[in-house]
Amino acid sequence: MIDRIPSGFNPFVIPFLFGMAFVLGYCLFGAVRILLQLPREDRKKLYLSLITPTTIYKNIRDIFCDCLLHVRLWKRNPVLGYMHSSIAFGWFMLIVLGHVEVLLFVPHRINLFYYPIFFNYFVAEANQTLRGAFMFFLMDLFLLLVMSGIAIAMIKRVRSRIVGMRKTTRHSLINLIGMYSLWAIFPLRLLAECFTAHISGGSFLTIPGNWVFRSILGNDLNLLPTWWAYSIVLCIFMCVLPFSRYMHIPAEMMLIPLRNAGLKVRDSRKGFARVQVMSCPNCGVCLDACPMSVSRADVRDCTVYLMRQMRAGNERRIKEISEKCLLCGKCEAVCQEGVEGPKLRLLERAKTEYRLSPDYSDIYVAAPSGKVLYFSGCMSQLTPSVGRSVESVMRKAGVDFDWMDREGGICCGRPMFTAGRLEEARGMVRRNEELILASGADTLVVSCPICFKMFREEYSLPGVRVVHYLEYFDELIAEGRLTLEKSELCYVYHDPCELGRGSGIYDQPRRLLGRAAAIAEAPKARAESVCCGGSLGSLTLDFARREKMTRASLENLYASHADAIATACPLCLATFGRYSDRPVRDVAEIIDQQTKGNNIEL
Amino acid sequence: MKDNVVIIGGGIAGMEAAKQLLSLGVKPILVEKAPRLGGHVASWHRLFPDMTLASDIIKRLEKDIAGANIFLETSVENISRKGRSYNLVLSNGITVNAAAVLFATGFSLFDAAKKEEYGYGVYDRVITNADLEAWMNGKKDSRIPASPATVGFVHCVGSRDIKAGNTQCSKVCCTTAIKQAIEIKERFPAAEVYCFYMDLRLFGKKYEDFYIEAQKDFGVHFVRGRVSEVGERIDGSLQVKAEDTLSGRPLRVGVDLLVLMSGMCCNPKAGALASSVKLELDSDGFLRSRDNVYEINRSNLPGVFYAGACTGTKTVPETAAEARAAALEIYNYLKA
Repeated sequence: MIDRIPSGFNPFVIPFLFGMAFVLGYCLFGAVRILLQLPREDRKKLYLSLITPTTIYKNIRDIFCDCLLHVRLWKRNPVLGYMHSSIAFGWFMLIVLGHVEVLLFVPHRINLFYYPIFFNYFVAEANQTLRGAFMFFLMDLFLLLVMSGIAIAMIKRVRSRIVGMRKTTRHSLINLIGMYSLWAIFPLRLLAECFTAHISGGSFLTIPGNWVFRSILGNDLNLLPTWWAYSIVLCIFMCVLPFSRYMHIPAEMMLIPLRNAGLKVRDSRKGFARVQVMSCPNCGVCLDACPMSVSRADVRDCTVYLMRQMRAGNERRIKEISEKCLLCGKCEAVCQEGVEGPKLRLLERAKTEYRLSPDYSDIYVAAPSGKVLYFSGCMSQLTPSVGRSVESVMRKAGVDFDWMDREGGICCGRPMFTAGRLEEARGMVRRNEELILASGADTLVVSCPICFKMFREEYSLPGVRVVHYLEYFDELIAEGRLTLEKSELCYVYHDPCELGRGSGIYDQPRRLLGRAAAIAEAPKARAESVCCGGSLGSLTLDFARREKMTRASLENLYASHADAIATACPLCLATFGRYSDRPVRDVAEIIDQQTKGNNIEL
Repeated sequence: MKDNVVIIGGGIAGMEAAKQLLSLGVKPILVEKAPRLGGHVASWHRLFPDMTLASDIIKRLEKDIAGANIFLETSVENISRKGRSYNLVLSNGITVNAAAVLFATGFSLFDAAKKEEYGYGVYDRVITNADLEAWMNGKKDSRIPASPATVGFVHCVGSRDIKAGNTQCSKVCCTTAIKQAIEIKERFPAAEVYCFYMDLRLFGKKYEDFYIEAQKDFGVHFVRGRVSEVGERIDGSLQVKAEDTLSGRPLRVGVDLLVLMSGMCCNPKAGALASSVKLELDSDGFLRSRDNVYEINRSNLPGVFYAGACTGTKTVPETAAEARAAALEIYNYLKA
């Protein structure tokens, strides 16, 4: 293998160099800006994590698994996983092997930035070497891999259902330019290498290609124009990259260290949030996941479009999208990049200023006392059977407790919190904290998942264990204080958003229900559970649209062919109760009935 | 057999229509699913505004329609259209070929347990308007205390409530609540009675007088504001939380008995039967009249007529008037 061009330069590399310089400059500038936007303590935390061996290992592993191999996507959808990893990993290997080739055959050219990219143009294979043949074979192999991924991408664009996606994002012009230029890079590279293969050598793709083209065309006139085209397309891709969804490629490499450093989003636009917005690849996995997508008009309010509007800075739409969301958290659960859609929306909501601010300081509530407190919450006041069942079960187990809001209490603050009215929420949180801490309690049992999440995350209650009644009952059974009789009914358990995805409680309800009745599983359960549509999270969704969501969520539960539906959230209970064709019960009601030994009347 | 007329439903609409048809010389077939005639009205005690005994009206109607073919405990299983006539398969095995069909299928009473925040079926002292009427008709009810100190009435339970799936006003509950409040005061003069309403829709003759009478002569308290929730105290009495929207203050009232004014909603069985013969349903689930101003009795099919609460919420006099009109329409249709 010899160096063919003495100067080691041809003008066609200029577009590539320009694009590369542009994209590197942009990313460097952006990264510095984002680092400066981070609060001082976050920045310190990040720097510290970058020199800690465990996080270094985690960063490298995550970048390799998520950015190149797309392991999480493989698990979710193998076809999409193959498509992404073949393009990302294949391209990565082409670049790495390009450098290896330069190091092996023309080591004096390693300082030339463009040499590995256009290697075949600059070399000539004088006599066949095994090393050369092996490298060319690998290059052709990875090029084939990338092209197979591109082929799937093209099919996906036409018929997304073939790759298992019901809905796919509608792309903006800049995204389309980026996408078509990306698709063009690899066929052009193959073509250029085919035209050059009789000089540079090649392998199983390029050499037969060379024979075919030379026998048809009979000359080498296409050689240089194709290399030009290859370089120009690379330039176009790199120039639109910062303004298109492909920005996710560099942004993700920054997102992973930020996440692994344990940083939290504090501002909805700057710093960490900015990296998340840039990291959204517009893949549209959140579209099928979003419960709002049952209404065509609401599809454009899913997280992927929030990310796009945040990049575009469309304030009116950002506000609209932020206020509409149910905050069910499913988009975050399915997101490959880990974009925290609900959290960004909450921070956006907190920006709205309200003229009137209610005052809760003079609301009188009776002071609770006792080791175990039970908080049923406002929603349980609207579904009184839940509170009564929890009370009855605890009495049967001989728990000495005080129902602190039996005659009415102060709201846990979550509705105000999800409305972005953080100060008002704090006011209620403080009152409740005082009441609970003064009571001398060591355990707080909560029956509403909405309150539960609030108590766990936003309250400071040193010495008090906050448990959902599901966990508490599960413990009572384990201690032998409750014995259940099995009913003949078959229930399907609906995971409430705030309890499942919100608090990670999936097993206890199934274990409890399994002791009290037969259970069936819905097709979409646990983290994939479909929001009932009743969520307090949305500030603007109207009733008709919520009804559609509730019916869609019920369809998922009906598919289990269970006799009845069980849930552990009073809001899900009330919402499903409106439209369900079969009975809907709270797990507490079922447990209460089954501890008496009589069957539930449906 | 050619000029058979089938009336589906033996409530006051069906009975009144049968009576008028008989007087016009047409002998109708009346099909009633219950073992007795009279529908919802038969289980009521007295009717506003004159405190007429419901049983008197039903007895009179029963006597008037003795000449009709009456099938009790029978329902219509299937209707099919055959040219200009209709084939009705009854649950007793009889098939009738009818030239005209009158839907007098009425309404369903809203299931108050669906508004769980009011505690019907959960708390011991919560009853519905229908339960109270049954009690006044002599049925024992352990939920009603011997001498309640305070009684609450909740208006619009399942009416004008999109969350309960009904946006329509049930029309009769405001005045029924006033009537029942007066009856409670008559039986328990020492009791304080509270009516929680969002609007008082007292549109009929003497209804407003009735309302003034309830306040002036019986001292019933009217509170403008919907009840948000009801809780049970240890002694079994109830705590009602509402907002007095006139004074703008939240309220908590303890009551010994709470009466929920369950509203009228569409009869789903009638809807299913009607849909099977391509009769149209309205968005509220009631049967759709050809025109809501002048053709309430007519359906979208020739020979099928409507009377009473099957097309929407109605009072007793409205239902009776519609039944008479429908009978005349059927008579003219058969003659043509």
